[in-house]
Amino acid sequence: MSAPARTNPNPPHAPRTPPAPHTPLQNASAPGSPRPRTRASTLVALLVTATLLITGCSAQNNSLAEQANAGDNKNYIAGDGSVAEYAPDTRSEPVDVKGELYDGTTVDSDQWVGNVVVLNVWYAACAPCRVEAPMLQTLSTSFAPEGVRFYGINVRDEKPTAEAFERNFGITYPSFGDRDGKLLLSLTSYVPPQAVPTTLVLDRQGRVSARILGIADESTLKTLIADALAEDNPVTPLPSTTARTDDAS
Amino acid sequence: MPADPTPGQTPGQTTNQTLEDAPGQAPDQGLDSRPEQTPDISVSSLSAGEMLRWVWRQLTSMRTALQLLLLLAVAAVPGSLFPQRRANPAVVTQYLKDNPDTGPWLDRLQMFDVFSSVWFSAIYLLLFTSLVGCVLPRTKAHLKALRSAPPRTPRRFARLPQHGSIVLNDGGAGMPAPDPAAAVKDAAAILRKLRYRVDIRDADTATPSVGAERGFMKEAGNLLFHTALIGVLVSVAIGGMFGYRGQKLIVEGEGFTNALIGYDSFSPGTNFNPDTLTPFALTLDDFDVRFNRDEQSTYGQPLDFTARMTVQESPDQRAEDRVLKVNSPIGIGGTNVYLVGNGYAPVVEVRDGEGNIAFSGPVPSQPTDSAYTSTIVIKAPDANPDQLGFVGFFLPTAVVNSEGLAFGSDPDPFNPRLNLNSYYGDLGLDDGTPRSVYQLDTTNLTQLNGRDLNAGGIVLEPGQTYELPDGRGSITFDSLKRFVALDITYDPGKIGALIFSTLALTGLILSLITARRRVWIKARATPEGGTTLEYGLLARGEDSGLRNEAIKLEQALSSHWGVTPSKNEQKKPEPSPDTPQQM
Repeated sequence: MSAPARTNPNPPHAPRTPPAPHTPLQNASAPGSPRPRTRASTLVALLVTATLLITGCSAQNNSLAEQANAGDNKNYIAGDGSVAEYAPDTRSEPVDVKGELYDGTTVDSDQWVGNVVVLNVWYAACAPCRVEAPMLQTLSTSFAPEGVRFYGINVRDEKPTAEAFERNFGITYPSFGDRDGKLLLSLTSYVPPQAVPTTLVLDRQGRVSARILGIADESTLKTLIADALAEDNPVTPLPSTTARTDDAS
Repeated sequence: MPADPTPGQTPGQTTNQTLEDAPGQAPDQGLDSRPEQTPDISVSSLSAGEMLRWVWRQLTSMRTALQLLLLLAVAAVPGSLFPQRRANPAVVTQYLKDNPDTGPWLDRLQMFDVFSSVWFSAIYLLLFTSLVGCVLPRTKAHLKALRSAPPRTPRRFARLPQHGSIVLNDGGAGMPAPDPAAAVKDAAAILRKLRYRVDIRDADTATPSVGAERGFMKEAGNLLFHTALIGVLVSVAIGGMFGYRGQKLIVEGEGFTNALIGYDSFSPGTNFNPDTLTPFALTLDDFDVRFNRDEQSTYGQPLDFTARMTVQESPDQRAEDRVLKVNSPIGIGGTNVYLVGNGYAPVVEVRDGEGNIAFSGPVPSQPTDSAYTSTIVIKAPDANPDQLGFVGFFLPTAVVNSEGLAFGSDPDPFNPRLNLNSYYGDLGLDDGTPRSVYQLDTTNLTQLNGRDLNAGGIVLEPGQTYELPDGRGSITFDSLKRFVALDITYDPGKIGALIFSTLALTGLILSLITARRRVWIKARATPEGGTTLEYGLLARGEDSGLRNEAIKLEQALSSHWGVTPSKNEQKKPEPSPDTPQQM
């Protein structure tokens, strides 16, 4: 509504645009008949609808709104621990991402086909990330025999900082350095990570089968990985998909 | 509920219709004549249905709408007296901390969320309902008035505020005087040319006449104004529901992806769905600040901020270079990226007691004055054996005064200095509690460096390293980068609000400049074989231009028939019997 019109330097996290009047109105449709009786009942209906919408809708964004109102300058969007598991037929397309690990290796999601992959978005100074780090390390070791690959996606740190974290928590799985957000951008097309940390489980075809926003619970993540592992291992799914496309065209 | 459309016994039956819209209705009920003082007895005798109807009439009356509008303005006042969470939640948190007695009560009264508070919303909803209930019947009445013929011709024009007559005699050159019917027909044509709606009546009698009316744009503009006001309310509501606003700080060379995860802080609309964020990516390539160096009086004041960014509008689109300036946001889809702040981010490297790098990278500092004297907090949570924390000042151009205190004297980095105190211990991050990145909670920390300690404070210029006491590590000030603070907003109601407020203004202007007038012209044959044309004008509402209109009409009539005005019985304009038109 109004552009911030300030030329003076100001503290970075104190943008002071005038607050836009927030309005919980939903129904723009005007009451129909002008007869008093109908009008009065329309008024009541309108008010009831509005009330329902105000109360109903705020629940959905409670966690986000609470964080917005907390004013704690923690500088990340925390997850509420919500878990979403996607049934095989509701999953997105296979994830197609490419990125560079801190050790310089380029990793392409093509290499993941046939394996269950766990992606964890983190950075060193993020408090909840520090809480779940030991658990992720445990699971990455215990699921290694089954071919489950763990990758971290670090959205803020430079290499030495990330390495200090890995050293501190004994993390052995590799992480992508994604300060420019490029990997994140390609990931948003599938299932957008909405909090730090976010944990994604990819099935053997590379499709997102589960997402955890916030600190992942060990047993929950274990179950999600086991579920993904239990699904049939498709015989080289990617080439077959390509072949089908070729036939069609 | 009785279906009787004439609730005679209900008080407050004056509706919002302006009186002009009800031709023939006695204009004696001003808005002030509403029987609000009606004793309670009659209210208590109402049935539930009648009560509702009475409430509805009260609510949709023009006076209530205006009162609600005023109330809305008054209710917005606390929004500027108290810090608002929507504007800056951190300030509210601080306010609550500073005022432990009054703060919680103010919070309970929603003084920190004025624009989303229950009471503000209530006024808003009532105003909305009132406007809808007001516009609908008025539109109906207006449409009816548009279809109906101008009111009947009065018998005596002498009572009208402007009236007169002209006599048409033989043309002299063998042209006979027009008969009354023909004269009225011509007069109607003239009135039509003056943009009146005309209606010829009694054409085959001895006194044919034409009734004419103009100025329907006044009510149309009025209705447009009110409808557009509803549109503005709805647009703002849509913005509040589906919009969002987030903040992100980017250091030069860093990027941002528009996903929730990428934000530092984020305020969603009430119906916001995080999956709907447009996935775009920004990278800050370079940030340039120019300060005034030419004039003595404004020396050192900022002239220009230019952020050169690489923007990728969607994952499969190619990146392009864009320039972001203050007041010149980058628009991506419906999302706008504003430059709202900037500062310095010293690049530091912290080594821990074991000699490993525990932290390395730019640390954004918070500028506190125009010389960019900035506060800075550095945390190295992965330092071993103890976590390390630093808090202090960054000065772009440090000058040391006679007491040995350093202060910043210029916003440009001519002599950058990092002045720090150091701590070791527990930073409080490991249990998952959110901590402010701009504060160091020293509860579980032990101070290593400081002005009061033997070790003294840490002062670093670029390239210098300081070894912490007791071999607890070291800190190096490597280089200096700048950062920008971005405000990323999405307001789907913005365009609607612009369109509707423009329409509202248009409607208001139309209703203010349009005059509603009625004209009647009556023709009668004179005994001498000529024809007398009598005319009379009536204004609807206050109209100072009525006399000019009368003169214009007479000139038009006279020139049509080539006569000189014979006898003009102009009277002084009388006060109009109509109440002034209400908005």
